[in-house]
Amino acid sequence: MQIFIYILKRILQSIPLLIIVSILSFFIIRLSPVDPLAELRLNPSVSQETLQKETERLGLDKPIIVQYGKWAKSFIKGDLGITSNGEQVSAKLKERIPNTLLLTTIVIALTWLVGIPLGVAAALNWKTPFDRILTVLTSIGMAIPSFFFAVLLLIFAVKTGWFPIGGLTSSDFLEMNFPQQVWDISHHLILPVTVLFTLSLAGLQRQMRANLLDVLDSDYVKFARAKGLSEFDVVYKHALRNAINPMITLLGFEFAGLLSGAALTEYVFQYPGLGRLILEAVLKSDINLVMASLMMGAIMLILGNLIADILLIITDPRIRVKA
Amino acid sequence: MKKAGYVVLIILFAGILAKSCLYVDKPQQTTKTIPPHSITEDIIYPDRQKNITIDGVDYLQSQAPIGKFGGTLVASTIGEGPKTFNPFNSKDNISSLLSEIMYDGLLSTDAITGQPIPKLAKDFTVNGDTYLIHLRKGIKWSDGKPITADDVLFTWQNIIFDGYGNTSIRDSIVVDGKLPTVRKIDDYTIEFKTPKPFAPFIRMLSSPIAPKHVFEPAVKKGKPYFDTFLSTNANPSTFVTSGAFRLKEYVPAQRVVFERNPDYYIINKNDQKLPYLDKLVYLIVGDVNNEVLKFEGGELDTIGLQGANVARFKELEKHSDFKIYNLGPDTGTMFITFNLNNRKDEKGNYHVDPKKQRWFQDKNFRQVVDYAIDRKNMVLNIANGLGAPLYTAESLNSIFLNKDLPAYERNLEKAKELLKASGYTWSKKGHLLDQYGNHVEFDLYTNAGNTEREAIGVMVKQDLEDLGMKVNFKPIEFNSLVNKLVNTLDWDMVIMGLTGSPLEPNGGKNVWMSNGTLHMFNQRPADYTKDDRYPWEKEIDYLYTQGALATDFESRKKFYDKYQEIAYEEKPFVYIYSPLRISAIRNKFKNVYPTSLGGITYNIEEIYVEDEK
Repeated sequence: MQIFIYILKRILQSIPLLIIVSILSFFIIRLSPVDPLAELRLNPSVSQETLQKETERLGLDKPIIVQYGKWAKSFIKGDLGITSNGEQVSAKLKERIPNTLLLTTIVIALTWLVGIPLGVAAALNWKTPFDRILTVLTSIGMAIPSFFFAVLLLIFAVKTGWFPIGGLTSSDFLEMNFPQQVWDISHHLILPVTVLFTLSLAGLQRQMRANLLDVLDSDYVKFARAKGLSEFDVVYKHALRNAINPMITLLGFEFAGLLSGAALTEYVFQYPGLGRLILEAVLKSDINLVMASLMMGAIMLILGNLIADILLIITDPRIRVKA
Repeated sequence: MKKAGYVVLIILFAGILAKSCLYVDKPQQTTKTIPPHSITEDIIYPDRQKNITIDGVDYLQSQAPIGKFGGTLVASTIGEGPKTFNPFNSKDNISSLLSEIMYDGLLSTDAITGQPIPKLAKDFTVNGDTYLIHLRKGIKWSDGKPITADDVLFTWQNIIFDGYGNTSIRDSIVVDGKLPTVRKIDDYTIEFKTPKPFAPFIRMLSSPIAPKHVFEPAVKKGKPYFDTFLSTNANPSTFVTSGAFRLKEYVPAQRVVFERNPDYYIINKNDQKLPYLDKLVYLIVGDVNNEVLKFEGGELDTIGLQGANVARFKELEKHSDFKIYNLGPDTGTMFITFNLNNRKDEKGNYHVDPKKQRWFQDKNFRQVVDYAIDRKNMVLNIANGLGAPLYTAESLNSIFLNKDLPAYERNLEKAKELLKASGYTWSKKGHLLDQYGNHVEFDLYTNAGNTEREAIGVMVKQDLEDLGMKVNFKPIEFNSLVNKLVNTLDWDMVIMGLTGSPLEPNGGKNVWMSNGTLHMFNQRPADYTKDDRYPWEKEIDYLYTQGALATDFESRKKFYDKYQEIAYEEKPFVYIYSPLRISAIRNKFKNVYPTSLGGITYNIEEIYVEDEK
């Protein structure tokens, strides 16, 4: 029961936050001197009436505050509005969300499945050659800028011909049978996943290693060892449970990154995901689309934090008492 | 000791860094790129497609060599992909390009001569203001229904004249506030009548024709519904089309796949129905770099190349499986323009500082700028040698180009003479002073982010400073620049570019007519009534009006030749150069006859894939 009240409280708290986020983003976009109609204005074959009609359709003839009010009203009703080309924003997002989710969930699952064990292993073999080699490798992973790494891999793909050059599916995708389709998608995913995986693996592995080292150094671990518990029990029952807490907070942030974390890589690989859509929308000042994506990012972050907090309550009795 | 070693190393490193920063950034004289040979060499074009009637069906017969059926051609579009598949809603190039593949128009343009030729129409006659069009008998929509005069009548009357979708066609055919009329004579004959003779109308007859039985319900639901009709979310199997290919699949941000229309009305010399290709794929790529990589990696079959890539691909061409074609100068124009505005804004301040007005409104001054800029150097350094200097208002591949207007080199002596003739002098320091002793100093704008224009700006500044002018070159954000050009009008000189049509100069009336919305060099407010035109502006207004009224090509050309002559003499725009269009296509494709007007794949139905050995 208590936990539901807690959740409710958190949701209520996030409402003013969302309002502030929306106002800030709306005004920043609108006050920047980007005119969605500039291209049309310089086209000799576009008439004055067409321009007038477009201005009215996009609501650009009204003061900003009215525009914001109009947007907020329809947003609350669940209507995300239309893009500057007249398509439904929700439909546009729906096209792209599955692609981005596919990429980011694979990456997150991979990094956690590999990163946590590697972090634990490095901490347990502290200062051995194994640990040092891992440290060097992760430093390299953290140091390479993602877009640069992505470009390198693309050139690799062009030169060897082993991988497709960007995209998600081949042009004859429709004619393939199911196993071929699965292979086609995996084939396209290898390179972008490699880029994102290398990048986030490094951070996660280091974090896990540092946490576990901290805990292994604490008094109760020493006490557990002194008590004569087996090394397995000491590490996996006592130390790991405490070391994992900060990782759960991190997981909350990862959740927020599910829909927005890979824009640069998506762009380089021409991956048909949300990142590319939003980048293009920002460049064109397509306000409804940009606002929808920003609000989505904010909501995902709040949700991620909420989930992390709830998970913490479950794993850590100390927090439960306070809450 | 070790420390000292590090210090020395760091100092050395910093020194090297500083040295490389000190390098003077000046344009280099390069002549490294030789443009690929022009398309006009060694291509023998087949005869024009002919009408032929078999079993009561009026086919169009291709005269190109007979090819093999099957295969796929993969092309690409840069950007976000199509925004709509409704040919009447498209506002961007990609949507228009894709809908042109699916929907044929009554007429089309001969890719070699640029003259209108029949497409869905079997033939047409123009008589002053009357256009009589005979349709092909027995040809069908992709769902098997016949294409008749009702479809044409519906398209023009109920969609275009009634202002559905994108109204640019409608806007461009209004003559004196009146629309043309369209009348069905019988099932296969249709007649258009313009309020008075209006030559540009014939080009509009290549607009797509819609199937009435599909579009009528959408039109009845009103304009807001029509705007969303056949959007990119529509199911491809519901499309009823008339073009060589029909839509098979659209995957957002990835590709558009077309499959061949099995019942198309163009046939080959063996009377087999074209097109040869089974599929036509357009990949949607986000930027040029990715497009180039995809071509290199073999995922694309044809590509347009620019700048440094041309030189690289020219090298690759020797031992690769593609051929590069030079399609000649681009249709766009790039220019420097002057603000000739002598009016005041609402607050009573001049848009342009009066002392600057004296300079810009002086024809000699504008000619000085023209003589001072070094086009050749710009082509070599900015366009990698892949451009042609431009001196005329019509682009170099325009069928209305006035070929009598000669090209000339940079001529500083002549420029100085002209300046002296207008009373300019030089101070001891070499600054250029006008007759009132003002130092000639002005701002030159362009849109930031366009590297080509920014590079041109730097070179124009250097060229003009050789004459003692002081040029403050300011690249500013595109939107701010547009705002200056069309609203606030507070600018001195601008480097801009406009797209043009090589077929129809009348499209430039918004730029050249004194009341045009893009009459940049002397922009008047929308509701301006006072007649303060310069005499030559008045003359261009007259020529543009007459040019649209005359109907046959020869007499039209006289008017447009004259307008180019005036623009050449008065120089409201100082044209710079036109980049060359370079395209590559793989050798396995045959029946490729590139032309300057049509590009590489204009005859897509005739192109076939030869078996690779």
